[in-house]
Amino acid sequence: MKPPPFDYCCPDTLDEVLTLLAEHGEAAKVIAGGQSLVPMLNLRALHPGVLIDINRLPGLDHISLEDGQLRVGALARHKAVLESAAVSEASPLMALAYPYVSHGPIRNRGTLCGNLCHNDPASEMPAVALASGAEMVLQSAGGTRTVAAEDFFTGMLSTAAEANEILVEVRVPRAPAGQGAGFHEVSPRKGDFAYVAVGATLQVADGACTGARIVCAGVGDGPHRAYAAEDALTGAAPGDDAFRQAAAAAADSIDPSEDFHADADYRRDLVRSLTRRALADAASRCN
Amino acid sequence: MYVGQAIRRREDERFLRGRGRFVEDITLDQPIAHAAFVRSPHAHAAVTHVDTAQAAAMPGVLAVLTGADWTAAGHGEAEGVWPVKDMSGADSRTAYRPLICVDGVVRCVGEIVAMVVAEDRHQALDAAEAIEVAYEEKPANTITAGALDPDIPLVHPAFGTNEVMVTEHGLKEETEAALANAHHVTEVVVPTNRVTAASMEPRAYLGHYDRVNDRYTVWTTNQAPHIVRRYFTKSLHIPEHKLRVIAPDVGGGFGMKLYHYPEEGLVLWGAIVCDRPVRWVGTRSECLLGDTHARDHHTVGRMGFDENGKILGVKFETLAAFGAYESQWQASITNAYHFTMLSLAYDIPAIHTQVRAVYTNATPVDAYRGAGRPEAVYQVERMIENGAQEMGIDPLELRARNLIPPEKFPYQTALGITYDSGDPPVLMGKIKALADYDALRAEQARLRAEGQWMGIGISAFFDMAGAGPVKMMNDLGAKVGCYDVASVRVHPDGRITVFAGSHSHGQGHETTWSQIAADRLGCDIDHIDLVEGDTDRVPMGIGTWGSRSLSTAGMAVYTAADRVVAKAKRMAAHMMECAPEDLDLADGEFTVKGTDRKLSFAAVANASYHSGDRPSDLEIGLEETSFFDPADCTYPSAIHLCVVLVDPETCAVTLRNYWAVDDVGTVINPMVLHGQVHGGLVQGIGQALMEECAYDAESGQYLSGTFMDYAIPHAEDVPSFGLDAHFTRALGNPLGAKGAGESGTIGAPACICNGVIDALWHLGVRQITQPMTPKKIWRAIEDAKRTQH
Ligand SMILES: Cc1cc2nc3c(=O)[nH]c(=O)nc-3n(C[C@H](O)[C@H](O)[C@H](O)COP(=O)(O)OP(=O)(O)OC[C@H]3O[C@@H](n4cnc5c(N)ncnc54)[C@H](O)[C@@H]3O)c2cc1C
Repeated sequence: MKPPPFDYCCPDTLDEVLTLLAEHGEAAKVIAGGQSLVPMLNLRALHPGVLIDINRLPGLDHISLEDGQLRVGALARHKAVLESAAVSEASPLMALAYPYVSHGPIRNRGTLCGNLCHNDPASEMPAVALASGAEMVLQSAGGTRTVAAEDFFTGMLSTAAEANEILVEVRVPRAPAGQGAGFHEVSPRKGDFAYVAVGATLQVADGACTGARIVCAGVGDGPHRAYAAEDALTGAAPGDDAFRQAAAAAADSIDPSEDFHADADYRRDLVRSLTRRALADAASRCN
Repeated sequence: MYVGQAIRRREDERFLRGRGRFVEDITLDQPIAHAAFVRSPHAHAAVTHVDTAQAAAMPGVLAVLTGADWTAAGHGEAEGVWPVKDMSGADSRTAYRPLICVDGVVRCVGEIVAMVVAEDRHQALDAAEAIEVAYEEKPANTITAGALDPDIPLVHPAFGTNEVMVTEHGLKEETEAALANAHHVTEVVVPTNRVTAASMEPRAYLGHYDRVNDRYTVWTTNQAPHIVRRYFTKSLHIPEHKLRVIAPDVGGGFGMKLYHYPEEGLVLWGAIVCDRPVRWVGTRSECLLGDTHARDHHTVGRMGFDENGKILGVKFETLAAFGAYESQWQASITNAYHFTMLSLAYDIPAIHTQVRAVYTNATPVDAYRGAGRPEAVYQVERMIENGAQEMGIDPLELRARNLIPPEKFPYQTALGITYDSGDPPVLMGKIKALADYDALRAEQARLRAEGQWMGIGISAFFDMAGAGPVKMMNDLGAKVGCYDVASVRVHPDGRITVFAGSHSHGQGHETTWSQIAADRLGCDIDHIDLVEGDTDRVPMGIGTWGSRSLSTAGMAVYTAADRVVAKAKRMAAHMMECAPEDLDLADGEFTVKGTDRKLSFAAVANASYHSGDRPSDLEIGLEETSFFDPADCTYPSAIHLCVVLVDPETCAVTLRNYWAVDDVGTVINPMVLHGQVHGGLVQGIGQALMEECAYDAESGQYLSGTFMDYAIPHAEDVPSFGLDAHFTRALGNPLGAKGAGESGTIGAPACICNGVIDALWHLGVRQITQPMTPKKIWRAIEDAKRTQH
């Protein structure tokens, strides 16, 4: 009742969706779980001409582990991903982070792909996608292309997906054997968007850290990867000293936003403490 | 006996099955039109032009109405129920909340500028979006603390000041002297955060005008339907006998649903203009903005102690926000409920308080669960906590030294209020045992040595509940008589309908009033139905607020039922050829004492209506009404104790334990009591840790317009509560019952804040403004580090 007027279609096939997207372009909005889109419509912050509902599309709710890749389809709901054995096997980081993604009723409807396309700056999954080297499979009437996470998240609530494309699937490479993961977040209440969240993955070989990944959410326009902190760890002996140095480097690497929830200094300090904790957890889970 | 038993709530069946009937569920013969409102996006602006032409021509639109139309129709504004007096005796500078902007100036975000009535809600919203309003922005102030500073913009320039009024209470000279002679003086600056009730059901109204019979009906989410009629006599000038007000099932009120909100008057106006019933159901954003806000005090306090930690005197200077306008009951907070309760549970010889009420460009403030008492407890308890810490006296021990001893009851406070009964030391003993206090202090010391921050918070207080008596409340400023009303109607078949002037919107009256009535009438509780919330069916009522219903309406039920029994006994005695005094009534039967002669209550009821064979001076029928004016307020008391853990890095707070020991006098239903305490505690925890109606200081924009920004606690954010009780009888009513609705919200904010301060005291932290979100705790620690270096 509250949103501005819009046209609505609910096609049965992906082809129809792609044709409609080609036809309407910028005026169209895909609706998946509606958990981010509908609030924005109800606040009349968006005025789309037409909503294209993809919920009837068959065969897009898959969560599978094939060829060393976790594949999550456009209609896989948060709840299914959270509870998926394939996810905990392929991406311990995603499994650790998922309990922080919203609340029960929202998880029943919301989708991982919708979450990635929405790219809220405080959202956990874009950061996880970035840390895991995920790829986005985008499809339009003109064909299919694959975009790496680091190119996909382009800024505040925006992505590399064109107006005529839909994200049909996200692919996450299976975490390398022996990798440990850690994830920490502070938010107003459990399940709320993060003030700051930090995820880390780590491998240890011959007493030295390798392949560290450190990502943050809630610190800027979108997911942030702390390259300097990762570099600081490479070759270092895992332990409190190294983690503290990396944490300091991570804190230095951000230029956090100020808002009602948290100011920049506090956010920076959170990045520091949460990075250290995430690394300590990750190290304890390496084998 | 039903009283005292934890019987299940009779109303829950329909609520749990989703079968409640709320304002939005009401259907009528005529199709219902919908209202939508254009609200000011500015905190302060001149409205230079309103263009409604395009909206009026849109599909489905029945009417577009503005302040000019309101004025042309001769309509007015609702009067305060508790008008303010300045301490000088002069009337205060009163500007009541207008229903729609009539003078070309909007003074807070959300003020209504125009209304659209359309066939459906969607059309109404679309048309509202098409109304063009030109504003000229003016400087605004939303901050209470600075409201009286020299260069602050004036909300109502005609008054020449933002000050509504000043009041002073207590013993000024004695307090000054006590502070001057004190061994130790603690000073605090404590703002009480602005919050709102956030009831589960948003506000909603449905207005209907029956032109044939010239009668008006309003369905409203209101806690006091008879008082709504009073408002309408001034807003739409409708005489009380012409207006029927129905408050059906209402999903939470908390004081916030007591008032004549703009939308309530406007939907009925729309119904008159369009000759169609008109409904409005608030969206969550409209409600978070437009529901009255609460608290928002800014207090500077000083408390003096002797060398043993005995409190000698305490002085308060408070700025109390009214917001942009005076809401109908606002002055009940400043003039009745706040100052009266500043002695809490302590024997304090000298207290002085000055309150300056101020206008700001923010949503009007009014009563919300606790109304003035959460502020009072917070202001006093923050000083006691800091005083104990500064003097190195265990905070519980220092409080124990100051509690009012049982032999001093009835206890008159330095503010002139007399607590009828209570025994704070027993409450303290119980909570100390319940929480295993000494073990907690040992654990705290151990954790601190390990770098973990644990804090223990305490608050102890009295509450003034159960308003009346009428005279006392008149003397405190009330223009409505604070009594309440019930009728007990026995039908010819012996079944009973109780009509009460209270209104249940979560309190469980269908259960508790029936428990009282069933005991008095000696009948099965299932033979009783309760009617509330309809001015055409219930004779009169002052409504449910301020933990008053039990000791007013509940006692009216008690009294009316006793009158019914007295009359029925005369009829039964006539039928059984004995004296009324010889009869007992129990289990639906009259028995002649000492015999096995019985007559059923139903037979007596039937004869009361249908038999010509009755005492010559006994009137036909079996129905009695009581207008019950209690002999006194009630003064429930409680002590709360909590344990908080603060993460030394992230500053996130975990509320680990919460205990409360309450004295609410006689308990009607322990399960309902626990429900009331639980709900209140959660709202108090919300105020302490996450809730805030925030404004941007620069622009005056409202920042808490959705539940993403206005956080209220989830179940997992609160611990399982440890509750205990100790009962002393209230002296002002026959059941000895005290109010129990507000204890949780009154005690929790102070208790939790004291816990957090206790956790951080060793770091130099002395005060953190609520809500104590992690960023504020972090900042307070950083600031403390800096000042210590
Ligand atoms: C109270 C609340 C709390 C929340 N807390 C969190 C939280 O803590 N962390 C968090 O990450 N999220 C949180 N969310 C958001 C939630 O996770 C959403 O479900 C998610 O962001 C969007 O998924 P959706 O399927 O509902 O997408 P929709 O709302 O349907 O769409 C969101 C956007 O993505 C686009 N879109 C959706 N699917 C596709 C697709 N396949 N291809 C192209 N574009 C697409 C839409 O056009 C729209 O622009 C919260 C939401 C609420 C309401």
